[in-house]
Formats: sequence, structure tokens, C-alpha cells
Amino acid sequence: MSYEMWSEKYRPQSLGDMINQTDIVERLSSFVKAKNVPHCIFAGPPGTGKTTAALCLAHNLYGKVYREHLMELNASDERGINIVRETVKTFARTRSIGEIPFKIMILDEADNMTSDAQQALRRTMERFTETCRFILIANYSGKIIEPIQSRCAPFRFSYLSREDQDRYLKRIIEQENVKILDEGFNAIFEVSGGDLRRATNTLQAAASLDKVIDAETVYSVIGRANPANVREMITVAMKGDFIDARKRLREMILKYGVAGTDIIKQIHIEIFRSGLPEQWKVKLADAIGEIDFRLVQGADEEVQLSALLARLTEAGYELKRGG
Amino acid sequence: MYAAWTQKHKPRTISEIVGNTEAIQKFTEWIKSWDKRIPKKRATFLYGPPGIGKTVCVETLANDLQMELVEKNASDYRTAEAIQRFAGLASQYRTLFGGNRLILLDELDGITGTADRGGVRVLTEIVKTAQCPVVLTANNAYDPRFRTLRKYCLLIEFKNPTVREVMKHLKKVCEGEGIDAEENALKFIAERSGRDVRSAVNDLQALAQGKKQLVYEDVTWLATRDRKDVIFNVLRTILYSKDSWKAKKAVDAADMDPDMLFQWIYENVPYHLTDPHDLTEAMDALSLADIYRRRIRSTQNWSLLRYVLDFMTAGVAVARERTKPSGWIPFRFPQRLQWLSRTKAERALRSEIGMKVRRKCHISSVRAVKEVFPYVRIIFESNPEMAAGIAKWLDLDENMIEYLAGGKKQTKAIIAKYG
Repeated sequence: MSYEMWSEKYRPQSLGDMINQTDIVERLSSFVKAKNVPHCIFAGPPGTGKTTAALCLAHNLYGKVYREHLMELNASDERGINIVRETVKTFARTRSIGEIPFKIMILDEADNMTSDAQQALRRTMERFTETCRFILIANYSGKIIEPIQSRCAPFRFSYLSREDQDRYLKRIIEQENVKILDEGFNAIFEVSGGDLRRATNTLQAAASLDKVIDAETVYSVIGRANPANVREMITVAMKGDFIDARKRLREMILKYGVAGTDIIKQIHIEIFRSGLPEQWKVKLADAIGEIDFRLVQGADEEVQLSALLARLTEAGYELKRGG
Repeated sequence: MYAAWTQKHKPRTISEIVGNTEAIQKFTEWIKSWDKRIPKKRATFLYGPPGIGKTVCVETLANDLQMELVEKNASDYRTAEAIQRFAGLASQYRTLFGGNRLILLDELDGITGTADRGGVRVLTEIVKTAQCPVVLTANNAYDPRFRTLRKYCLLIEFKNPTVREVMKHLKKVCEGEGIDAEENALKFIAERSGRDVRSAVNDLQALAQGKKQLVYEDVTWLATRDRKDVIFNVLRTILYSKDSWKAKKAVDAADMDPDMLFQWIYENVPYHLTDPHDLTEAMDALSLADIYRRRIRSTQNWSLLRYVLDFMTAGVAVARERTKPSGWIPFRFPQRLQWLSRTKAERALRSEIGMKVRRKCHISSVRAVKEVFPYVRIIFESNPEMAAGIAKWLDLDENMIEYLAGGKKQTKAIIAKYG
């Protein structure tokens, strides 16, 4: 067994290694053959190979020294308008030395850029097209402003199929000498839904627990990987202890850095999974939807979500009274 | 359940009182002199600013000397008639049960107006002929009303203790409550109180109740605004008046930072509006206030502030419909602000690790925290060997390993494998 994150260790290095998204790989390979790449948008859900495809493309294009011709920025970490102005410009304006006259700029999580920053980016893309090609990576291409979209070749990534995911995981298992039962594969796919990063991380965490991975190992990973114990928080609120529920919420947000939108998504799922009377599920869905909407408009995640917890507390109280 | 700390941690014996050593000494000698003969001055007049232990001094001394303390608040004995009833008590030193009697007439300042003039005169007569020690207390003994009375009293001035002395008392309270308090936090409270011990203890309770630790950051907010009474008054009006107009007005009068006030209300609502329906209404109002806060932030249109205030004051005030009245519930300092200051280091460490992961894993540090940390944690908690490899690969230091491993023992195990 080796000891780094397997999601990196087994990240495909060249387009030929990529296990799925065959249409995309084909088109990207044709760019390599032509030694020319347009600006691109890679859009799709997490763990489907967007960043990997961008890195592989660069690798195939420039060979071993591809790092010298490549810059990776993550818009979530440095999404200000100044970053685009300064870093991107400095990188984009200088000509690349070598056979290929342009460099590649990967802008990851570009849908998190402010629209101002995107406007600035649009001009930069235009001005330096000859020396720099941009690959914008996003979950939703809709969040990229129109003028940029129209300058880019769009690529849609989708979740991996069960077969593809298993094929990828089996490669890791052989190398790492890990044993996994079929039920383990089932369980992993159940949580990952074709998100390879999640699948690989789950596999590695499971391997750290047991020599032979069965479904139970996987489920225990899933349980432990969810510090946001939303179900318990809901139970506590509905039992009437709002103060304790709010404390749990605060812990999730501050201690574990769980995003408010993720918490509300889980609350929604949990309510429908719960044994509550059917009419109540629908009633609560209304409350959840309202708060979800406010969450986007509000300044403070905890305040908005605790307003929802108060509603759950009230619902629990009315249920107990037989309402 | 919610005892006021000023009561709970009141000095039990006279040696526990901080400051005013000379005054206490003088007072003790005078009381003890009664055992020999009736002294020339049959009453003492303890005077000085509030909250520094005048009354406590009398109470503890009576306790130490096992005297029977007859304690009356002067504001309840305003008229000549009422005070006259005292005369009987004052006519005896030794009580039926063999103890000695001590009469305390507290807060003489409470006797006001012409109607009470007669009261002071009667009191003077009682003092002149008292057969047991009589103690009077007031903030200002030099009030013209007391001119004659003063002549028959031994005047003892109580002064504000020093900051150190106030801190000494605060430390004791903290020990009693099992709170680990930073020196400069206590110093800050002592200074802010204007060296008023009672007020300092009240502040301490508001800031530290229910906590194991009190750090400087927890208390510094006091600096930016007036005394806490102001906040408490505003909170009381908002949470109890049921009157939207009063609730709105209370904020105007207080002139507080709206964000800070919001945190106070948000913290305290569930403790005071306990009926689930009322709670939901109040939290809903706060949620709406929060939406306007965001609108102000994104548009910089500060005229929207009035709507924030509407929802967080009037909106909360009218939520009280079904909650049944209960006993005194203390107001709590916003726990979230304390959480934020306490977890500051932890959050900084987390984002530092996030940056390390980002460098290796082509993922933003924000997403690393969400999507990679949970798995790394499991590995660090359960498999030191694999954890050591990852720690090396990510270039983590010991603090970071401990953060992920969640314990010293496991951290050691991982570092041992580090090689």
C-alpha cells in the first residue's frame, strides 16, 4: 500500500488513460493533433474528470514539461477582480517558448467568479488569445456570463456509469493490494453516484479501516464522513430542544465548515426519508423551500437555518399534540 | 437554577471582602467596643459609592461575631411611624437567646422628600438613645437632610477598591464557577465597572456564565459601547414588552451598534420565548432582519437599516403570545461571538491545511475542507501508517496532524510512523 491520496496518485496522466467521457477525449485529442486549442468551458458535476481532462490535455500537448506552459487558478480561492487583472494578465501576455505558441490557463471553479471579474476576464481572453488559451471549469456553465460562453468551446461532463467507476476502482485495488467484496462496490457506487473523487476517497478511507472491504466498512465511512449529523439535529429540534439543535448547527458550520446550502439539502432529504406523517412532509417542504430561498438572500447562514430549526421545533410540538 | 452571582458569591466572612481595610478595621473596633460599654457614638454611618461592600461588611461581621442582625431597607421605612416601630428593637442589646443585636438601616438615600423629614428626626432620636449598635448606610452622608443625624454617628467612609482588589474578587468567583479566566480579561471587566465590585460581578456573569474559559476577546466588546445595563434594558423591552413601538424606541435610546444588538437578540430569543409558536415567529422575524442586512451589505444602501431594526425589535416583541411567564432568566452574552473568537485559531489551521490539500489535489481549499477532509480524518483517526504517508505527502506539521487525528495519542502514533 502506498500513502498518498489515491485520488491524486491514480489521476490519469494523459488523455489515453481517461476512462470515460469518450466523446470529449476524442475531441480533445484532435486539438492535440492539430496543436491548437480554442478557449474551452468544461462544465459538469464534481468528480467527473474536468480538471483531469484539462491537465491531460496540457500533458499531451506539451509533453513532460507541461507544467511550464500551464497555470492553474482556483476562482474559489482567489476570485477577486484583481486576481484576473494581475495574475492572469501577467501570465497571459508573455509568449510561450517552444513549438506551441500559446500557454494554457486553467480557471477552476470559474462559476464562483463575480460577474465583474468575469467581465475583466472576457477582455483579457480576447486580447491575449494568441499567447494564451483558457480552460474554464465550472459545475454550471449557466453561471458563466454569455460573452465568455460564446467565445468558448463547450464540453459537458457527466457522472460515470457504474461500469466505468468499477473499472477505475479495480485498477487501484490491484495496485494497492486491497480486497473488496462486490457488496463493497455496490455501496461505494450508492454514495458516489458516479463521482470518482468521492468514490476514490471512500475506497481509501475504507481501506484504512479494514483489510477486506465489505458493505459495512463502506457504510461506516459514509457515516463518519458526515460530520453534519443532520438527522440528529432534526430529531433534537423536533423533540423541542431548539437551543441544543442550534448549537449543533453552529458546530457544523463553524467547526466542520459545512456549507449552509449542503445542510438544507440534507434536511430536505431527511424529512422525506423520515417516518413523519405524509402531510407533514409536504408542509415542512414548504418551510424548507422558503428558508432555502432566504438562505441565498440572507447575510448569515446560521440565522436562516436556525429559523428553519424553530419551525421544526414547532412542527414537533404540534405533532405531539396530535395536530 | 439561575442564581445571581452577586448573591451566590457574596463574601461569607469579613475577611473575604476586598478593599477598604481601614474602614472595616474601624468598624469592627466600634462594634467590639459595645461589649465593654456603650460607646459615645451609638450609630455608625457607612457611606460611599454603590457596590463596594458597605452592606456586605455589616452582614459578614454580624455573622462572624454571631450577632442577631436586624436588617431594614430604609426605603421601606420612610415615615416617622414606621421608624418608630424600630425603637423597640433598638432598646435592647442582648437578645432573649443571649446573642447581641445589630440593627442595619440600609440605603438611607432612599428617604427623600419632605414627607420623610419626620423619619430622619425620629431616627435621630432612636440613635441618641439606642441600647444596641445601629448602622446606617448611604451613598452620600453629607446630604443636608442628615445634618443633625450625622452628629450622633461615627462616620466611616468606604472607597472604591483598587482594580487589583476587584480582580481578586472576580478571580474567586471564577474559581467557584470553575472558569479559567485570563488575567487581562478580568482586569478589563474590573476597569470597566469603575471599580464597582457588584457591577463587575454582574458583568462577569453575563460574559462567562456556562463557560469553562474566559478570554480577553470575549470581553473587549464592552469597550465599544456603554455599560451592559443599556443592552439589558433594550433586551428586556424587546423580549417582554409585547409592544412594537416601545421595542423600536428602546433601540433608539440605546444607540447601539445594530449588528451587535442583533447578535444579542438572536442569542437570547430561545431562552425567553419558550413556546414553540412564539419562538418560530421571533426567529422568522430575525431571519427577515438578516435578509435586509444582506441587502444593505450588497447595495450599501443604509436607509434599509430601519427595516432590519423593525424586524429584530418590533418583530421579536410581538412574537410573545403564548409563552408562559417564568422566573428571572439571565441574559446571555452572544455565544456565537465567543465561538468565533475561540475557534479562530482552529479555523485558521483548517484553512492552512486546506491550502496544502489544494496544492496537491487540484481543488480549492474551500472544497478541500468539505470534500476531502472528512475522508482524511477517518484515515488519520484509524490508520497511523497511511496517515503518516499522507501527512508527509501533504507536508503537514504536528498541529495539523493533531487537528486531523483529533487526539494527542493518535498524533504520536502517526508521528512515530513518520520515520
